[in-house]
Amino acid sequence: MTSQILDILTSAAILYVVAAGLLIVFGVMKIINFAHGGFLTMGGYCALATADLGLSPLFAIPISFLFGAVVGMVVERLIVRPLYSRPLDAILATWGLGIIIGQLITLIYDRGVHFVQSPISGAVDVMGESYSQYRLVMLVVAILFGVVLAAVLHGTRLGLMTRAVIMNEDLARGLGIDSGLVRFVTFSLGAGLASLAGTLITPLSSVDPSLGISWLVNAFMLVLVSGSSLVSLGIAAVVLGGAQVLISSYANPVYGSMAIVILAAVLLRVRPQGFAND
Amino acid sequence: MTMINRKAIGAAVLLASVSTSAFAAEPIKIGIPIGLSGANSVVAPSVVQSAELAVAEINAAGGVLGRPLALEVADDQSGAAGAQKAYDNLIFQKKVDALITMETSAARNAGLPIVAKGKTPFIYTSYYEGRSCSPYMYVDAWVPDQQVAPIVDLFVDEKKAKTFFLIGSDYAYGRGMLAFSKSYIEKKGGKVVGDEYNPMDASDWTAIISKVKAANPDALILSTAGGAPNVTLTKQYKAAGIKALVGNLGVDEGTAKSMGTDAEGVFLSASYVSSLDSPENKKFLAAMKAKFGDGLKTPNDLSVPQYEAIYLYKLAIEKAGSTKQEGVLKALGEVSFQGPRGLIKMDKQRHAALTMYLGQVQGDGSVKVLKSFKDVDPGAQCPNLK
Repeated sequence: MTSQILDILTSAAILYVVAAGLLIVFGVMKIINFAHGGFLTMGGYCALATADLGLSPLFAIPISFLFGAVVGMVVERLIVRPLYSRPLDAILATWGLGIIIGQLITLIYDRGVHFVQSPISGAVDVMGESYSQYRLVMLVVAILFGVVLAAVLHGTRLGLMTRAVIMNEDLARGLGIDSGLVRFVTFSLGAGLASLAGTLITPLSSVDPSLGISWLVNAFMLVLVSGSSLVSLGIAAVVLGGAQVLISSYANPVYGSMAIVILAAVLLRVRPQGFAND
Repeated sequence: MTMINRKAIGAAVLLASVSTSAFAAEPIKIGIPIGLSGANSVVAPSVVQSAELAVAEINAAGGVLGRPLALEVADDQSGAAGAQKAYDNLIFQKKVDALITMETSAARNAGLPIVAKGKTPFIYTSYYEGRSCSPYMYVDAWVPDQQVAPIVDLFVDEKKAKTFFLIGSDYAYGRGMLAFSKSYIEKKGGKVVGDEYNPMDASDWTAIISKVKAANPDALILSTAGGAPNVTLTKQYKAAGIKALVGNLGVDEGTAKSMGTDAEGVFLSASYVSSLDSPENKKFLAAMKAKFGDGLKTPNDLSVPQYEAIYLYKLAIEKAGSTKQEGVLKALGEVSFQGPRGLIKMDKQRHAALTMYLGQVQGDGSVKVLKSFKDVDPGAQCPNLK
């Protein structure tokens, strides 16, 4: 029982970390950034590059965030900004970008599976059950993600502007808020968070050109049911991630892997706003 | 003119005449439909390289019946749809004389009806789940009957394991390997306390690992798709602190090496490991290194059977006296070739008895051979074919 509760909480934590960057971009820009999978993959390779340089795995955390954010800045400026008034084209462009990122990585590193030594491995005792240490670390990381993002959104001037743009972009612009700057910053932040998430999941996965793809669909569904709220995303991750764990345990993992997608689709049919309040 | 000069000129003339006669004759075309993209794209280049070496060696030695060999490589995209196009193209447009290839079971199954339509001799060089039979196909790689037994025997007889938990990827090969393992374990008196499958592209093994911990088995048998699923599963069970014996049916030397300490202690079984201490293997490895240099893809249990199969095809043509399919198909079951893996003869219901090696991954990722099993019989694979 303990291990099942831990499975649910840690699975939700991983989903939360993976989807957070996508949610922020969706909140401000109202577009789903399909390059998110590519950014996740990029983060995995940042961890690999850091390890190849012989640096401590801890360095991978700032390196991948900064690298992701810088790539995000370039992409926003060159690809996404010219398509602001054509959201559907912007979505298509991010999709194509995701493919290009995957191919560039293949050109540099080949298609092979790479392996990054994890900084923390093995199990610890939690209430009489031995449990994977790194998954417990991910639980703490997810809470940190939530707290830091909430602090930025609610405690800074930029956060205030961002919330204004999320609520009503035209009105915010009318009040003198530079919504272009808000979009630029959020897209870069979203890309940085995605890349960071890619680094954080490498101790649980292999580093290969399709690293991000398997997470993209679940992250996408979670964002669709949570709207633009970080709290709803947390609830969605626990409920849908929990359903995935329970169905995998009591039925089989093949059904479990479809749980998030199917339940999210059903939820949106019954309650179009999903887990969001409005 | 000195003796040496005369010899040199004689050799040059001989060489020139061999190569011109080889040029003049129509080449014998070998088709290789293979997964250059998709799941097999990591291993495919090593297979193509070993085919190129075999062809270069045979042509340098005068070809086959005075004709050179030529390769036609086509991408099957590692799946059924791509394979249909690749087989169609090779057999009916390129008009190849034979197909010799390593590919996924899905691609092979899609290609077999086209092979039957073209009546083209076909040597399948990938290990697979077994019992795929066609009058046009021979197989020179292992099947579960040959690979599973060494690991399970070790676990039951020497390590005294009683309970087993099986984990695989959800596709023909993963399920086929574990179905055979289950029946073999039960025959040996062991007990299978669980078997679980994850989709091929899944990277999260949480629920399965919790089930393993609840069942607390003595040993795990893993049969996932190569590459990523193998790595994610190994990392995650290791992180969960599972201490059972682990036999991995899907891991190759290269992947084991890249996993390093996380794979330490894992048992595997294969018909080829690169450290084999035979003169044929040393010569093969040296020739590969000389031909491909820095671009060499490490030879492995999928690429070496490809090399041997091309030699087997050459010997079959020579025995039959022509490339006509009836004669070649009959001869393929009769010829034998001493290759890097030992003496290969596909005379066991279209399959080959193979020497299998039981290995264990060491702390530095290298594979240490614990034991070898000479000429393990493939069992009743195709009782309806001779």
